[in-house]
Amino acid sequence: MGREEKRDLALTLILFAVLMLGVSLAERYLNTYLIRILNTACIYVVAAVAYNLINGITGQFSLGPNGFMAIGGYTVAILMLPLVQKEQVYFLQPLIWPFNSFSFPSHLFLLALFLGGVAAALAALLIGIPTLRLRGDYLAIATFGFGEIINVLANNFIPLTNGALGIKGIPEYTNLWWTVNWAFWSVFMIKGLVNSSFGRALKAIRENEVAAEAMGVNLFRHKLLSFVLSGFFAGVAGGLFVTLISTVSPSLFTFTMTFNLLIIIVLGGLGSITGSVVTAFIFAFLQEILREVEAPITIGAWTFPGIPGMRMVVFSVLLVVMMIFYRRGLFGDKEISWQLIIDRIKGRNESEK
Amino acid sequence: MVILWQVFTKILERGILELRRLISLFTVFLLVLSFSGIVLAQETVKIGANLEITGGVAAYGQMIWEGVNIAKEVVGDEVLGKKVELVLVDNKSDRVESANAATRLIDYEKVVVMVGPAISGSMLAVGPICEEKQIPVISASATSPLVTQGKKFVFRACFRDDDQAKAAAQFARSELQAQTAAILSDIAQDYCVALGNFFKDAFIEKGGQVVSEQNCRSGDQDFSAQLTTIINANPDVIYVPNYYTETALICQQARDLGYEGMILGADGADAPELVSIGGDSVEGVYFTAHADTTQAITEIGQKFFDLYREKHGREPSAFEALGGDSYVIILDAIKRAGELDPVKIRDAMEDTENLEVITGVATIVDGDNKKPIVVKRVENGVFKFVTTIEY
Repeated sequence: MGREEKRDLALTLILFAVLMLGVSLAERYLNTYLIRILNTACIYVVAAVAYNLINGITGQFSLGPNGFMAIGGYTVAILMLPLVQKEQVYFLQPLIWPFNSFSFPSHLFLLALFLGGVAAALAALLIGIPTLRLRGDYLAIATFGFGEIINVLANNFIPLTNGALGIKGIPEYTNLWWTVNWAFWSVFMIKGLVNSSFGRALKAIRENEVAAEAMGVNLFRHKLLSFVLSGFFAGVAGGLFVTLISTVSPSLFTFTMTFNLLIIIVLGGLGSITGSVVTAFIFAFLQEILREVEAPITIGAWTFPGIPGMRMVVFSVLLVVMMIFYRRGLFGDKEISWQLIIDRIKGRNESEK
Repeated sequence: MVILWQVFTKILERGILELRRLISLFTVFLLVLSFSGIVLAQETVKIGANLEITGGVAAYGQMIWEGVNIAKEVVGDEVLGKKVELVLVDNKSDRVESANAATRLIDYEKVVVMVGPAISGSMLAVGPICEEKQIPVISASATSPLVTQGKKFVFRACFRDDDQAKAAAQFARSELQAQTAAILSDIAQDYCVALGNFFKDAFIEKGGQVVSEQNCRSGDQDFSAQLTTIINANPDVIYVPNYYTETALICQQARDLGYEGMILGADGADAPELVSIGGDSVEGVYFTAHADTTQAITEIGQKFFDLYREKHGREPSAFEALGGDSYVIILDAIKRAGELDPVKIRDAMEDTENLEVITGVATIVDGDNKKPIVVKRVENGVFKFVTTIEY
């Protein structure tokens, strides 16, 4: 480990400590509204960073994260749902064995999330094996179809998913500790991966598959591993989502979810992990901040009635403007790294001298 | 030249400075005004509305909002000597947004009670938040049995899916004298799935026989495969608990295939579009509904419908009437609670008994509104009241 790497690791650990301190303060002092938006933002971070791994870093256009999130979400929901709720919720057809006979206690939440991730990763493996051998846009079509299939399955396999009625009463275990930790460690891991030789091979595949293959990169294996990892984190994000809002049904993970994630990663810059983090936060907060533009405005004695739907107009205009001025996303394929931050600080000091 | 340039830049700088000062002055002015606004606003009763104003089911949310506002005009906007202030927050027909909107209304707007989302899925996300924060929430139209199950602070102004299906089965058995029934429900809609299943159970329980059960999906255009199977089983009545588009198309295709028996729908069919899409083929179709908007049972109902017609020049729908019901129930509960304490308002709401609302008489039991279910029939392109069913 070189000197700079050691320094970066130390700085990252300090950042982690600061984040944890921030979380404990936030849990104590912030109101539930802000905490809820922060939670949503952090879950978007996990999902977006995972999505960026396959779309931005490996350059394989996938449209399936909603499917993976659904698998993770349903897995966690079915595992964590208390037995009493299992009897009440599945009133059309009872839940199939073995899921009707047990329910994970709260301390196994982490295990449930892992299992959710693993289930999604297995699904990624299953559809990755046939489709990743192909080149071009086939993956987009196959994964889009996959998302739709999951939706249809969730609607029709009533003994497992309760169909369109969905599941309610999932314990709300998701809090800032969980979301911030998952966001941090998924970014940490995926960034570490991207900077390794494996990550460089992925980038080589993105730039030119033929050249990468000529350099000895096993295309299929690299793509598959990247896809499976992406599926894993998407599944975890799905699990966090359902335990945040305490309910799940097929309509929660429709293509709109993929679309939101696509906005986040394209806006942040395809291939920029830290860019996705920043835009995930912008995305979650902007939607709430923009509520102000559709609330009635009172100036003294005058009241202007609010126009519902206005925030989506403003939001869309902002998107258009951003895409015009930052055609490759806010960060392009660059990352915020410690080196960059240090250079900036030093640079400013020097110019001030 | 150089001097000129310097003078020019000086002027420009001065100009910018002045502009800044102006802007900051203006901001201070605005701040002062908005503060005075806040001070004034404290004397109101804040009622939140967490509704689908945009997104997939925007029509429902907008109709409920309109209903709430018309009810406000009809029954007044004062309670406990204070003015009612409605705070509308759009939830984009999305579950995550609905949850965010609920916390915003509670934490930020400090509402004492709220009108919840129109659809059950979003209500399920809002329920636990209101339960934890102890703020009562009432949905105008979330009919899923899961919504109020095990919740103290969650209410609804409409009937439950299982009650509606039971009433439909009762109507089919006793009024229509049907021995056999077939069901064609939309599997992609929680509402339709539940209705189909509950109808089946109730119909069998009442001595009938279900000869065929078929599924379709929202957005389907062709139902001939399912209908052929159903017609071969020769049922007395086909139960079609779907939204109006699918219901209209199903009626059309059933008639085209030569089916001459009865068709029974649910409140999803209660929209003028049923006739505009279905045309002659929906003639004689029965369906269960929330209210008879042509003939009000209560006095405020009549006022409400009259005012609506005057404003919009058309018949109000069930969503508007139910939005009105939610407002009336909330206002009555606040009145009886006697103070702006959410927990007391919740208790008063649960005690609602024989309250005259827009659609009829409301009695709340375990968060659900137990009121008679209306049956209507399409006659010459308009919906005619047939009977009410107690369950």
